[in-house]
Amino acid sequence: MTPLLSLSNIRAGYGASLVLHDLSIEVGEGEVVCLLGANGAGKTTTTCVIAGLVRPWSGEIRFAGESIAEVPGHRRVSLGIALSPEGRQVFPEMTVHENLLLGSYAPHARRDRTRAMDQVLALFPRLEERLRQKAGLMSGGEQQMLAIGRAIMSRPRLLMLDEPSLGLAPRIVMDVYAAVAETARAGISILLVEQNTEAALAVADRGYVLANGTIAASGSAAELRGSALVRSAFLGIQAESAP
Amino acid sequence: MTNLLQLLIDALLMGGLYALMSVGLSLGFGVVRIINFAHGEFVMLGAYGAYWALTLLHVDPLLALPFLIVLGYLGGWLLFRGVVAWVLKAPALNQILLTFGIALVLQHIAVVLWTGDVRSAMPEYALSTTIIGDVFVVHGRLIAFLVAGTLIAALTTWLRYSETGRAVRAVAQNHDAAILMGINPGRIYALAFAMSTALGIASGAIVSFLINITPFMGFSILLKAVAIVILGGLGSIAGTVISAFILAIAETMVAYYVPEGAGWTEGVAFAVIVGILLVRPRGIIGSALAT
Repeated sequence: MTPLLSLSNIRAGYGASLVLHDLSIEVGEGEVVCLLGANGAGKTTTTCVIAGLVRPWSGEIRFAGESIAEVPGHRRVSLGIALSPEGRQVFPEMTVHENLLLGSYAPHARRDRTRAMDQVLALFPRLEERLRQKAGLMSGGEQQMLAIGRAIMSRPRLLMLDEPSLGLAPRIVMDVYAAVAETARAGISILLVEQNTEAALAVADRGYVLANGTIAASGSAAELRGSALVRSAFLGIQAESAP
Repeated sequence: MTNLLQLLIDALLMGGLYALMSVGLSLGFGVVRIINFAHGEFVMLGAYGAYWALTLLHVDPLLALPFLIVLGYLGGWLLFRGVVAWVLKAPALNQILLTFGIALVLQHIAVVLWTGDVRSAMPEYALSTTIIGDVFVVHGRLIAFLVAGTLIAALTTWLRYSETGRAVRAVAQNHDAAILMGINPGRIYALAFAMSTALGIASGAIVSFLINITPFMGFSILLKAVAIVILGGLGSIAGTVISAFILAIAETMVAYYVPEGAGWTEGVAFAVIVGILLVRPRGIIGSALAT
């Protein structure tokens, strides 16, 4: 069976500096896949390449069997690709409600707006209390919920979450991850990008470890949890020199 | 006391027109992030449009207004797609030079079409007045104010409540996040620039009620509009409207209370703007299309 998303031999970067070299990953239908790695490993660049914000220098991106390398970012939303970006990137001067409506801007999502809104507000009851508040004035955790909710509003087949736990209090991380797990149960494929290995591996089916712009390791969540390589990728210590 | 009331009414009516002249510039800057130095020339072309409507077609400028707005929109759209879109990622200096160049070209097209002679497109009723109590209201000014108010209200309502208006604000606030919503920023840029042009043309058509028309009228209008937009906080529609009224009040007061004040209006108005910016460097409302 062809995977929902596959990246093969992607090279990408900014200006003259290469960030990703020879990156290949896959996400299957209904799968929760996490992409782990230290700061600067290329995780965010990967999500931007998939969302169409960064154009790869070479390599193949396929989504639902079609090559999408030439499809501009704004059209990929209609294909079913959604990204809750690093740093949340909510529209600060707009209300929570307006942010969510923008999530369903694409025509296919607009038709299903009312139902999607109900689902998102059920997933994050806190957003319902804040509907009329300007997004820029909310706490980091609430903005994170809004960014995820906004992405879900677009009725995605693949939901990418870039560092959803970054800078959040442990309690809020639990809330956010409970929502991620529930979204996964609804059948949406998830690509979860995290530095918070514990939280990510708890919900993921499988994962990749990204180091220096390429895949250093991959395996099931259970395998990665016990892997020395994962620890070394994060702590910067060589697996061999560990006691 | 009566004098003060008269002055405030005059300032209010003038402020509406200033707001309309500047709001287009503010929209263009807020979304496309280019200060359009040709905006004054759009106003000038709108004024000549009204002049042609009145003299060639014998159509009232107010009736010609919707038609001029549509023409302005189409012209702005073509100008954006054909020329301005190419410098979006260029350094700011290149963008300024480009729009300045467009301004010069438009000025000289106007000289060719209408010569440098001073023209007027004032319909009869624009010069008549109504006296309410002790206050004189010149009809031309009142109409200009009402048209400006209607257009600005329509613009803000559209920005706030329509699907596309929301997309325009999204692009202004966060370009990349807007793409993630499925919004095509290139299309929104063209749309915002075209609307900005249409608003410039519209304010020109009603300026023709109040002042004479020359091919070179655009520059002083641009200067005022830029000052108003900066004072209001770059890209904020609400800030632009507020600062348009501040400028109108300052000008009117100086013209009346300062001896030989009429000649000083612009200088003192700009002093007020500099003064406010010293206290609030980001303008009255310093945020992207907060509306």
